[in-house]
Amino acid sequence: MDYRNPSVSFFSILTIIFILCSIVIIPQISAVEYPINVWPKPTTFLWPNPIAILLAGNFTISAPNHRYLTPAVNRYLRQVLTEHHLPLVNPPLNLTSASQLNTLTVIVADVTSPLTHGVNESYTITIPYSGSTNAILTAETVWGAMRGLETFSQLVYSNPSRVASGLYISDVPLFVHRGIMLDTSRNYYGVNDLLRLIKAMSMNKLNVFHWHITDSHSFPIVLPSEPELAGKGAYGESMRYTVADVKNVVEFGMEYGVRVVPEIDMPAHTGSWAEAYPEIVTCANMFWWPAESQWPDRLASEPGTGQLNPLHPKTYQVVKNVVHDVATMFRDELYHAGADEVVPNCWKTDPSIQTFLSKNGTLSQILEIFVNTTLPYILSLNRTVVYWEDVLLDANIQVSPSILPPENVILQTWNNGPNNTKKIVDSGYRVIVSSSDYYYLDCGHGDFIGNNSKYNQPPGSPQDDGGSWCGPFKTWQTIYNYDITYGLNEAESKLVLGGEVALWSEQADSTVMDPRIWPRASAMGEALWSGNRDEMGNSRYAEATDRLNEWRYRMVTRGIYAEPIQPLWCVKNPGMCNTVH
Amino acid sequence: MFTIFLLCSTIPEISAVGYPINVWPKPTTFLWTRPQAILLSPNFTFSHPNHPYLTAAVNRYLRQVLTEHHDPLVKPRLNLTSALPLSSLIITITDVTSPLTHGVNESYTLTIPSSGSSNATLSAHTVWGALRGLETFSQLVYSKPSIVASGLYISDVPLFMHRGVVLDTSRNYYPVEDLLRLIKAMSMNKLNVFHWHITDSHSFPLVLPLEPELAGKGAYGEEMKYTAEDVKQVVEFGMEYGVRIVPEIDMPAHTGSWAEAYPEIVTCANMFWWPAEVKWADRFASEPGTGQLNPLNPKTYEVVKNVINDVATMFPDSFYHAGADEILPNCWKVDPLIQTFLSKNGTLSQILEMFVNSTLPHITSLNRTVVYWEDVLLDSSIKVSPSVLPPENVILHTWNNGPNNIKKVVESGYRVIVSSSDFYYLDCGHGGFLGNDSQYDQPPGTDPGNGGSWCEPFKTWQTIYNYDITYGLNETESKLVLGGEVALWSEQADSTVMDPRIWPRASAMAEALWSGNRDETGKNRYAEATDRLNEWRYRMVTRGIGAEPIQPLWCVKNPGMCNTVHPFVS
Repeated sequence: MDYRNPSVSFFSILTIIFILCSIVIIPQISAVEYPINVWPKPTTFLWPNPIAILLAGNFTISAPNHRYLTPAVNRYLRQVLTEHHLPLVNPPLNLTSASQLNTLTVIVADVTSPLTHGVNESYTITIPYSGSTNAILTAETVWGAMRGLETFSQLVYSNPSRVASGLYISDVPLFVHRGIMLDTSRNYYGVNDLLRLIKAMSMNKLNVFHWHITDSHSFPIVLPSEPELAGKGAYGESMRYTVADVKNVVEFGMEYGVRVVPEIDMPAHTGSWAEAYPEIVTCANMFWWPAESQWPDRLASEPGTGQLNPLHPKTYQVVKNVVHDVATMFRDELYHAGADEVVPNCWKTDPSIQTFLSKNGTLSQILEIFVNTTLPYILSLNRTVVYWEDVLLDANIQVSPSILPPENVILQTWNNGPNNTKKIVDSGYRVIVSSSDYYYLDCGHGDFIGNNSKYNQPPGSPQDDGGSWCGPFKTWQTIYNYDITYGLNEAESKLVLGGEVALWSEQADSTVMDPRIWPRASAMGEALWSGNRDEMGNSRYAEATDRLNEWRYRMVTRGIYAEPIQPLWCVKNPGMCNTVH
Repeated sequence: MFTIFLLCSTIPEISAVGYPINVWPKPTTFLWTRPQAILLSPNFTFSHPNHPYLTAAVNRYLRQVLTEHHDPLVKPRLNLTSALPLSSLIITITDVTSPLTHGVNESYTLTIPSSGSSNATLSAHTVWGALRGLETFSQLVYSKPSIVASGLYISDVPLFMHRGVVLDTSRNYYPVEDLLRLIKAMSMNKLNVFHWHITDSHSFPLVLPLEPELAGKGAYGEEMKYTAEDVKQVVEFGMEYGVRIVPEIDMPAHTGSWAEAYPEIVTCANMFWWPAEVKWADRFASEPGTGQLNPLNPKTYEVVKNVINDVATMFPDSFYHAGADEILPNCWKVDPLIQTFLSKNGTLSQILEMFVNSTLPHITSLNRTVVYWEDVLLDSSIKVSPSVLPPENVILHTWNNGPNNIKKVVESGYRVIVSSSDFYYLDCGHGGFLGNDSQYDQPPGTDPGNGGSWCEPFKTWQTIYNYDITYGLNETESKLVLGGEVALWSEQADSTVMDPRIWPRASAMAEALWSGNRDETGKNRYAEATDRLNEWRYRMVTRGIGAEPIQPLWCVKNPGMCNTVHPFVS
């Protein structure tokens, strides 16, 4: 297919001009009231005269050939012809008698751009009033084209398939990094779950799956150079990710425009490594918070102890093999190296560390040794390293900024909301936001400690926050309304790459993955794509409610078990579930 | 002989805590002096009296014990003896005619010999007790090929006879298959009452032969209805699983959906729930979705009578739940008839009494015991005199103020079913559902408070497990406490979350109401229950129930390591 066919471009330009001209006369209708919507809401959505046309039975999508775009095109073609989505509220859209739409022509300016951090995801779509011309999707990259195909698919509905017509969309994300973090160590998730997650992310134009693969609880990834780590550290034979599994996940991500960023958390959160290499892990398999010690003297912040020993040479042999294998299996330029929650007393149990400290060494120096010995190696593999903010901001154990070159290091924040975001950008680092007060999806579900007497108080005792350290539950609105550049000036804001909602899995696994993540991750998806405010600058969570109800329902019909946010009655009685107090 | 041997054994009773394989809910008496296991013969059979429901259950359990091949998370440290495989379990029932009713005898004893040279025996007073025993037996079978715990004696009887789950199918719809799966999971947990909150202001999904328009216009849609055949399927399925289905048609409040068919009998229908100009006390409903039946309109009783007749025909259970919660003054006050009545010194409570007096006798005439929410007696503004609620025909269902209201209800001489929202409401702690709620749009640093759920926080399984539903009652008062029900209100729930919202938290209540939440020495046993519940939750998942995890798997594999040794300080 020649996607530079001049006549196609000519007609598309005419259509755009026609639509743009109608805008001048008819005042722009706020997308709020559009009878069919796209989630996340596009940046610019011009639809002066909402109508719909039929999709031809032999509708095609013409697009340049590309290893990943082609499967996406085939997938979306199947979807628009067979989904036959029936919205909860039937769109009051007239079906015109115009010719059916035969073709969507996809034009990609640069088919060679790889899927990397910051890749151009912008696109435009024009759908003419009549199928006598083609619909046109233009994008700088194939990844932008995928975003546009998702948008197009959401504009198709009903049986037989019809599509919103006479519209023009120009779309570009506010933030380049829009992700979900899933912890597969505390509880295991099948590969099918990960693929379904990626699929749902793509529907929401999220582009980074941050895979927190390992932790103290289990080491599920099978590494060719260090097979014993999973061999002994996984929960079981059936609870591992093989090289083939990872390849499957990464390739699947490419077809859906979702990057997969691996995290091998270290030096803390490594108890599971001790199953294979007890000698390189301090305080492994010890009781997390002994009776005789105060909270600052705990061995870990939750059950599951163990930190790599930076003073043991063997540590670096293993770490190097791990980093090498992970960098080979995951192609993304971002490598997440953890570095959160290094707890003093865990290291202090080790004789070599005790000796070091007795010679006026500090724990922060020990962490610096670790970082200085591992960071350059990761960088040598052409990676940008992401660390949790603790590496710089922890109260007890942190490194000097001088050993964390800002051009190679990104920090991910999870504490203190906007305060830590500001601290990080003030130090000159790029930041990924996962503030636990807003973006932690596991909060508000109680504590998982086994013999916790807090739930055995006499009736009438205050129940407080239900015992979740980050309670209460983060509602979709809490997530939607969070402004991740709050309190930052323009220059500082530019260092905010985006955000990630996080599902830590102490009390989550396959059985709850979908409803814990969706539609709350959709809320972040829109806030980071086109923002949480309307054209007037007002928060738009209220009008987003109806749109999110519809979108959540559509995700469910697409096989994603997103939880309901309201009674169906609210959808059918717009405005009646609001409050005026 | 074998039983006598076990009972006379000089080895002190081992607490079931330390048993290598457990049953949930934990049986009342579980004697297993020398834990071991024997093979289940591939041609294992149950011998049992013929009974339509028992036979169906036996066939189901036979298939299960032969094919489940459950692989526990922690391998049971049980020696497989070289004794003969077990080839038969003989079920003996004293009275095969007892119907599945409130208070039916559910006790059973189960003996599994050390060798298959003799039969295992399950004896029960009723087929319903036999069903409980079969569930217990199934949980003692595991591995591939099937192995069964042997050399044991179990004698089991529930502490409370009413052990249920409320599911609201009005605010969001659940397909029939979800209801069947719920019943199946309830039976696994020895729960015996599915309290089906069928209708509310939001939708009326139940198709009634005499009043087809109620669902015809009040259901969410054509495919979101329960037909008479659907109900029959649910009720019959319940019988095969030993689970009673108690229908609730909430009235006179929570009836906005009736107005789609009969606008004339519903006051304040389709009005905005809490207008800007009024105080909270003057709201039309406590949440979006307004409407209350008008007790002063004769037409109301024509419709209500038809509804009751149909529901009583479709649901054979002797309990009929008639709602009567959350009647709001202002919803009635919008009606001219009611205004006139009030202007002549009538009261809203008198209006409610008229409603109760015109409907309760009809329900009881159909041989039903009526369950009302406690509000009918305890509401602060609109309530009836106890004299119109005969305690022999009426049971009250509590949901406010924890033990205080339980005490109030029993002190008034009524039997009570406990669903205290501070303990048993499964929807709490998930935020509010209002559409334009600015509480989630506060500047960073603002105290997030309780997260906006009125019954915050989330009720953990331990909160539910530890709740003592006879707290503060003397022995006589305690006898009026029939049991409890955990409740899933569906503002933010439907098929997508039903299983994990209910399980394993309903399992926690199930054990507390079956054999209690304390060990032999009277100490709370939530700590040791954790490991057992981890295993049980996992087994439910493998049986197709999407119960949520309560801990990292690591905790199961490292017993005790996820505990705390620091006393909780509030």
